[in-house]
Amino acid sequence: MTDSVDERATGLRVVDPEPLGEPVHHALDETLIERLDAGECRPTLRVWRRTTPAVPFGRFQSFDDEIEVEYAREHGVVPVRRVTGGGSMYVAPGDVVTYSLYLPLEWVPADVEASYADLDQPAIEALRGLGIDVRHEPLNDVEHDDGKIGGSAQLRAGDAVLHHTTMSYDLDTREMLRVLRIGEEKLSDKAVKSAEKRVAVMTDYLTESRDEVIDAIVAAYLTRFGGEEGTLTDAERERADDLAETKFSTREWNESL
Amino acid sequence: MRGESAVKVPGGKLVRASVTYEAHVQSVEIRGDFFLEPPEALAAIERSVEGLPRDAPHEAFAGAVAEVDATLVGFDADDVATAVREAMA
Repeated sequence: MTDSVDERATGLRVVDPEPLGEPVHHALDETLIERLDAGECRPTLRVWRRTTPAVPFGRFQSFDDEIEVEYAREHGVVPVRRVTGGGSMYVAPGDVVTYSLYLPLEWVPADVEASYADLDQPAIEALRGLGIDVRHEPLNDVEHDDGKIGGSAQLRAGDAVLHHTTMSYDLDTREMLRVLRIGEEKLSDKAVKSAEKRVAVMTDYLTESRDEVIDAIVAAYLTRFGGEEGTLTDAERERADDLAETKFSTREWNESL
Repeated sequence: MRGESAVKVPGGKLVRASVTYEAHVQSVEIRGDFFLEPPEALAAIERSVEGLPRDAPHEAFAGAVAEVDATLVGFDADDVATAVREAMA
């Protein structure tokens, strides 16, 4: 089943579906970049809302190196290997802002390093507009003077580019240290303080709700690229549900490295 | 023999190497928080240094990795060479 793409539509389709399981999010990334490359969907901005805490980790990372597997299992934290490279992060529903951009290659600077800076820029401007003094830090970080507030990752597939970004609205640093395998002296006060120094969260700087932050970021990308709100199609959802089950929930994928 | 290394590269990415070797490199696993396109090229990069003498110079390792048709982002062939040789040091 394929969808017809409205040739007259320009700019982004913005989709913000109901909260979904972690594997479905990663399946939607694969589905939408493939379909964009195949000319079967429009350039899209997708907002992620989660149902469980999770650890999205990098495509080239070792599952066992990154995750306290037993703790994660006992506490309902779902690890999923991303389609993109980069590092691991602990995310909890309501505590992070995550979105994916699916763009034609021709909309994106050819130089990869420049493209990270360029595609992060609207979000950075949105946060600055809310009074958070953040900047892009090469290659793929969003930085505040107090620490890293988020990061991006990209995948190119034919004529399509996926650029997704996660930023901390709030963060339970102790829980992050329990879930991720970061260092030996975990959960010592020193380790918690050290981690808190490296990480910045939006709630330290603003009173706006997470939804207001998401609205500001979406508005910034719509200003940049044009477009309007839309919905995922049935075909996109069916493909993603299928991939979530057959790939992104499986040990074959998540524990492949 | 089997050795491991973790090399922090300029820009902050971590490249981990796990190497099985005797007089020559037998098998290599490269892991880390880098970017690589196409992603499937990881196996080709790992295979590219297999068979090299364990005491081959840095340039031999870096040159073999650079031969692979892939775009390395956030790390480069020199970083892989450094990590692989360090795992055997």
